[in-house]
Amino acid sequence: MSFLQPLLLWGLLAASIPVIIHLLNKRRHKTIKWAAMQFLLKATRESRGKKRLRHILILTCRALGLAALAFAAARPIVSGLLGWGNGHVDVVVLLLDRSTSMEAKPGDGYESRRKVVVEKVRDTLKDLGGARLVLIDSATGQAQDVPSPDALTELSATDATDTAADIPAMTTKAAEFLSETPGRSEVWIATDLQASNWKADDERWAAARASLAALPQKPSIRILGLTGATAPNASLRLVSTQRSGDQLMLDLEITRAEDARGTANLPLTVNLNGSRSTEGLTISGQSLRFQKRITLPAGSETGHGWLSIPADGNERDNAAFFAYGPTRPIKSIVVAASGEAGGYLQLSAAPPGFGNQSVTRLDPAKAATLATSDTAFVVWAAPLPTGATADVLQAFLSSGGQVLFVPPGQGAETTFLGLKWSAPSEAAAGKFFILKDWNHEDGPLRDGLDGTQLPAERLRAIKRQIPIGDAAPLARWDDAEPFLVRRIVERGTAWFAGSLPDYTWSNLGDADVLLPMVQRLVMIGADRFDASYLSAVGSEDSRLLPGETRTRLDDYGSPDPANAAYEAGVFRLGDRLLALNHPASEDTPEIVGKDGLDTSLNGTGYTLFEQAGKASDGAVSKDAWRAFLIAMLFFLISEAVLCLPKKTTESSLPTRQGNPQPAI
Amino acid sequence: MKYDFLDSALLSKLGSLPVEARTPMLGNVAGKHRSPHRGSSVEFAEYRKYVAGDDTRRLDWKAYARSDRYYIKEFEADTNLRAYFVVDTSGSMAFSGKAESKIQYARKIASSLAYLLVNQGDAAGLSVCTDKLHLEVPPSRRPAHLDRLFSTLGALEPSGETGLVPALHTIAEKIGQRAVIVILSDLFTDPAELADALQHLRYRKHDVCVFHLLDPQEIAFEFDRPHRFIDLEDGTVLVAEPNLIAEEYHIALREFLTKVRDVCHDANASYQLVTTDTPLEELLRGFLMSRLSKRKH
Repeated sequence: MSFLQPLLLWGLLAASIPVIIHLLNKRRHKTIKWAAMQFLLKATRESRGKKRLRHILILTCRALGLAALAFAAARPIVSGLLGWGNGHVDVVVLLLDRSTSMEAKPGDGYESRRKVVVEKVRDTLKDLGGARLVLIDSATGQAQDVPSPDALTELSATDATDTAADIPAMTTKAAEFLSETPGRSEVWIATDLQASNWKADDERWAAARASLAALPQKPSIRILGLTGATAPNASLRLVSTQRSGDQLMLDLEITRAEDARGTANLPLTVNLNGSRSTEGLTISGQSLRFQKRITLPAGSETGHGWLSIPADGNERDNAAFFAYGPTRPIKSIVVAASGEAGGYLQLSAAPPGFGNQSVTRLDPAKAATLATSDTAFVVWAAPLPTGATADVLQAFLSSGGQVLFVPPGQGAETTFLGLKWSAPSEAAAGKFFILKDWNHEDGPLRDGLDGTQLPAERLRAIKRQIPIGDAAPLARWDDAEPFLVRRIVERGTAWFAGSLPDYTWSNLGDADVLLPMVQRLVMIGADRFDASYLSAVGSEDSRLLPGETRTRLDDYGSPDPANAAYEAGVFRLGDRLLALNHPASEDTPEIVGKDGLDTSLNGTGYTLFEQAGKASDGAVSKDAWRAFLIAMLFFLISEAVLCLPKKTTESSLPTRQGNPQPAI
Repeated sequence: MKYDFLDSALLSKLGSLPVEARTPMLGNVAGKHRSPHRGSSVEFAEYRKYVAGDDTRRLDWKAYARSDRYYIKEFEADTNLRAYFVVDTSGSMAFSGKAESKIQYARKIASSLAYLLVNQGDAAGLSVCTDKLHLEVPPSRRPAHLDRLFSTLGALEPSGETGLVPALHTIAEKIGQRAVIVILSDLFTDPAELADALQHLRYRKHDVCVFHLLDPQEIAFEFDRPHRFIDLEDGTVLVAEPNLIAEEYHIALREFLTKVRDVCHDANASYQLVTTDTPLEELLRGFLMSRLSKRKH
């Protein structure tokens, strides 16, 4: 228990006053010569037992009443946050999670979790009195002194943001700060315990723990976990954008809360360069992934806009911002000898009618001349590249390009990215290699957005080559040998498909599998050019380069210029046009469990105060003086009751006169 | 009057009230009081003038014939009263709480009644008792005897433990003729022993009157702080907090008073519990009147 006025605890000495007065009174007795001694002696003998007990109880009540008054005057504080038995604290370092998920509200009409925790911390620090407060917020990551608890709610460093949080980094920062700050300290981590922010498995926690353990005075770690149910919420996220001529394709996802059931109808507002329209969406279940095609104004080179759903339990995840630039043709290169396979591969990379898609065939003998600067997709139907060509291809992959390797027709020991082709194998006479198993959710053979699956089972092959090496299989033949594997190379991906669209190999040329597979890979490859207009708040792209200034372009909501660096919106950063949205990880509801906390803060002796529920659950610290005041009243009333005089018995004394009949 | 315990005004007021015995008395001198004896052996004593209200059967016609005046015959059948005042002078009688001391109050009762008795031609005596002392002043009806009686009363100094019971036994043995025994005491003695003494007196056919004297504070027992009580008789010291033991004190006192009253009633003694703040006139008038009303004609 802490006390706000500990000096007044000296008042506890007053509890001895009744006893002292009693002892003094016993000495300060008056002397009287008495005649009716026999009754006095008898009364003293008979009252020894219960009267003595009553007298002791009276004295005890008086002493306890005064003690309770002294405690009440000393203003004791009982709190889960401050804890029992804590002494004076010199410094409190508050790590404040300002991420998007902290804007969730416990219920309709309540404040956001961030606001709630800031106010509770303010009230607790006011009760604590005298401790220095240092704030490290998740957006800036910088330590700043807070002059007084009341100033906490006024700082822009405690305002809402559209960022994610990095708790291990903040903890390390706190340890660095405390290494230069002597005195008894506490670290309070105010967070909603979102797993994506806590990053329990992050190896930086080990460094953070070591820094804390190395401090001369180990701080107390207290986690203010704001978990529990929230008001109904749906979040809107822009997955990707792609411009094709005058059409802008927006890949969107709406996610509802885990406990959401049934169907919801949401109005979706679309704002394109200031023009607004609204349409209705029907969501069944927890999430809806859909594409929105927007027709751009004729001749529009660049532009921006936003989409939004109505404000709900979290007002920071209801908008998605987008920006676009000039139409860019999607170029593909097919490195293949002329022939049936090469022809089908070119067709699939740029089908007629796909106006902005173009493809160039490069003879394998001229592969060294491969130039990929504005290429989205490469098909390599040749022996695996080596030397400088391999370097070019690797660089292309690293920059986000997509490369589909198909069998060269002969086996070789040449490897690329640690992968190589097996020797060609043929199916038994009269039999085929049939595609049996493929990934329906990931990769170029995944099901459509509406759940329609590709007719990949129609693929029949007579001849094949198996990709050998460390890669993730996404499809297998009926004999379990891989047909399609994937190897991620930095921002790009290398794909290996084990047959050719040649009648002597397979029926890939029938387009059931080849066309959607190749087109999806082309779109991914092209995405790297359109993706330059889309990023997440707090990412590397969102930071100002030297000489750049930040200007907000959209008209959504009420932006705070002081907080612009941490808000979602459409910005011009120097010459760059960028649509910044809240990080996708902020929409994931998983919270870190006790095991995760134990793992990350092992050995720190942390305490977790999980405030699940409404904001008005009461102060984090409770002033306990009222309880002691009530106790004092109880003791004094008990003492008064015990002191009540018993009824006198004078009326039952024998009468004065009693004269019997005289006898003669 | 030179004795502070005598109130002449009071005595004047009470002078018209006779002090009478409840039982017939035996005496050598003619007096107002009934004799137990009846019949012709009673001799003529004297004449006195007839006053309205006298019994006309006592008119002496021969005296009328001689003098043309009405005279009443006084016979020896009307005899005198002898009263003994037994005053307890143990240390406890010195207690003075809210009113005057018990011994002073006893002096007042004894002296006033003695005066009235002697004034009406009866005899009054005094017996003073402690555990160490038994002083007697034999009864006499001579007015000059009163001075001796009063001076003895005035010189009384309460001390020591009570010797009331032995004194009562002595009186019961010593006094041959019936007398009125007036006991003035706080009766702080064993009730069983007191009962024996009173029964002894009853056996000897004495008319016993008990004035049980207590100070109001001894009854109320109200104190505002702890006190150091010192026994007036044997010096026993006790430090106590009165408000803690008041209930038990009152119970013990009540039991004692009930026992004493019952003891007196059983011994056919008239009992009166008197607090020393009772106005003396009220007490004596009540006492005298109560005796007057009991007379049978």
